[in-house]
Amino acid sequence: MTTTTPPVARRDARRADPPRPRAKRSPFVRALPYLVPAGLLYGYFLVYPMIDAVRLSFYDWSGFRTEPQVWVGLRNYVRAFTADPVFWTAFKNSLIWVVLSLAIPMMLSLLLALGLNRKLLGRNLFRSVFYLPAVFASITVAAMWRWIYNPTLGAVNQGLKAIGLESWTHQWLGDPKIALYSVFVAAIWQSVGFNMVLFLAGLQQVPVELVEAARIDGAHGLQIFRNVTLPALRPTFVVVVILTIINSLKVFDLVVGMTGGGPAQSTQVLALWSWTQSFQNHTFGQGSAVATVLLIISLALVVPYLAWALRGEDH
Amino acid sequence: MRYTRSAAVAISATAALALVTGCGSGGTSDAGSSGSGSSGEKVDLTLWLPTQEDSQKAGLETLVSDFEAANPDITVKYEERSVDDHKTALRQVAGTDAGPDIYWYWEGPGLGGELVNAGMSLDLTKYYDQYGWSDRFSDAALAGITQYGQHDGIPWTLQGEAIYYNKTLFAKAGITGTPTSYDELVADADKLVAAGITPIQFGGTVNWHVMRLLDSLIETECGSTVADALNTTQQGWDSEPCVTDAFTALKTWGEKYINQGFMGISNDDSSQLFYTGQAAMALEGTWFDANLTDNGVNPDDIGIFAFPTGTGRLYGFGEAYYVNATSKHPDEAAKFLDFITSTAEQQKVVGAWAAMSPNVDVAPATGNPLHELWPPIFKAATGLYINNDQNLSLDQTTEYWRIQNSVLTGDIAPADAGAEFQKFIDANS
Repeated sequence: MTTTTPPVARRDARRADPPRPRAKRSPFVRALPYLVPAGLLYGYFLVYPMIDAVRLSFYDWSGFRTEPQVWVGLRNYVRAFTADPVFWTAFKNSLIWVVLSLAIPMMLSLLLALGLNRKLLGRNLFRSVFYLPAVFASITVAAMWRWIYNPTLGAVNQGLKAIGLESWTHQWLGDPKIALYSVFVAAIWQSVGFNMVLFLAGLQQVPVELVEAARIDGAHGLQIFRNVTLPALRPTFVVVVILTIINSLKVFDLVVGMTGGGPAQSTQVLALWSWTQSFQNHTFGQGSAVATVLLIISLALVVPYLAWALRGEDH
Repeated sequence: MRYTRSAAVAISATAALALVTGCGSGGTSDAGSSGSGSSGEKVDLTLWLPTQEDSQKAGLETLVSDFEAANPDITVKYEERSVDDHKTALRQVAGTDAGPDIYWYWEGPGLGGELVNAGMSLDLTKYYDQYGWSDRFSDAALAGITQYGQHDGIPWTLQGEAIYYNKTLFAKAGITGTPTSYDELVADADKLVAAGITPIQFGGTVNWHVMRLLDSLIETECGSTVADALNTTQQGWDSEPCVTDAFTALKTWGEKYINQGFMGISNDDSSQLFYTGQAAMALEGTWFDANLTDNGVNPDDIGIFAFPTGTGRLYGFGEAYYVNATSKHPDEAAKFLDFITSTAEQQKVVGAWAAMSPNVDVAPATGNPLHELWPPIFKAATGLYINNDQNLSLDQTTEYWRIQNSVLTGDIAPADAGAEFQKFIDANS
């Protein structure tokens, strides 16, 4: 019996050289074509303005295109630290905002998430209600709370009068001693919902079997929370802390919408003061110097924390 | 497969490059105009101005529609912003192609002069010659136009600022006439307080509102010569005892006579107190005549008197329409300005922005009884002192407001205010 070999197979059979293995490209090289467009946009809209702002901090410029930029070296920084009547107020207020943001809204978010992680009637409705403020634009929140704090028509003072606590009424946005904290209350209202959602997502990663095992071993609620839930929430905490620090350092809309930095610049924060110097006072060099200081503070807070957190995860 | 992947790469990179190039070009069309501008072709003019009250908007609509009917090839579009946003927007576009063809602005050195120095204002001298504008406007109005060495803008208003008062509330407090001296004004304020009436309203979050009171107190305590020297920083704020007197008076007004909680509300909110009869006085300008009637106030219930500084000068400023130096259609812009300041058009809209038209051939407005109160006030004035945010530079103005508000909140003592301000002026000179 004769078998007929197809022509291709015969030709292949006459070849002695084995096929060359294809060169394996690294994952990064393979991803490069997809990274380039985003990289270009990121570089142009984020990295370039950031570098230019630092560069501008060494110049004196009014911001008008018709006027030249004049090199002044470190003068803008010297002026900010020694002769700017508002800089240290803005610096202090920014740090207060960071500390309070970590202490209050973050903890409230966690408590809300723990409470709304249980099975209870209307749980989804409550989750939606608490998350809703995060959907509003900051300037809308500012407008709402400005009216809530209105000294004659606002809900706070009117409510206090209605329950016989007229002595507690106050100029919530007009008293420099408390105006910053009044604005912060609005920030809590706006931000609690977003972090609550992050914590809720993190709580879904807590191994149920570990919780049950701890209960069987006789652990009570606080012990379970400290030894099982918290360690499992560590990645979520890293994200929430970093986002909280960054968002609190760059707070702008709420302050500009509620007080404009007043009264008498008492609610001024670094981001708003940088903007005021550049776009209201037309001293772009000084505004850029304040922005650069804000950048350094942000990096000084976020980078060490991130490094520590990642090292902890490796362990 | 290889072809498809490469094509995807090429398309992505090309799209990104096009996006970046398009974004980085700074814009290829100017926001103000379209069309080539040659005769017969459609021209769009843009005009930027602060938010207009109802009667002002109606007046503007009349002018624009009349102009467009007379000039079918030219369309005028206007954009309104709040006062502070209007200032910010113009400063941002100065020297770029993104600005309007025409902008409305205050004439003083700290505001209009700043944009003139930035090269934003087109010298209109040739149009003054072409249209004969030097004969159309008064010398007083033209003084604000020629103060920078050329013809910057055309006069639109000469605003006087004075105290509007509620006649009913004054009568309720037993005040029978209007004060002719500062001491009488303070005495009247005390009577209002005794009658349980808020003497005067201000909105502290917009710093320029309370600034009007401080400016008037400086004029009162220092006199016109020293006040002018201080306000142009030719004299040290730490060298005159009258500065301490002015800030001390400001603090007293804040503690005793201004509406409670004023530091936390805007002028729009505080003005409601005057409209609704909850405050007896308001320090406002000729534009307020229209504001009052638009907000339902009976003009017969309101009177006006100049702040009794004792110098004879009236608080006020000029406002003008300027042509942007980067406008591609300056001829059409000048044509529009000529049209809206013409006698025929001004007679239709006089009173909407000020009691008196900038056109000398147009009689003062009669529709609003309040307009008739202004001519005698202007006639009695020996000169004008202008708002300090139009005198001082931008950063000086920010610091002036900070010190003003710090005195009101008690964070800076009146005796230290002058020195604090001078320290800032010296550090930034």
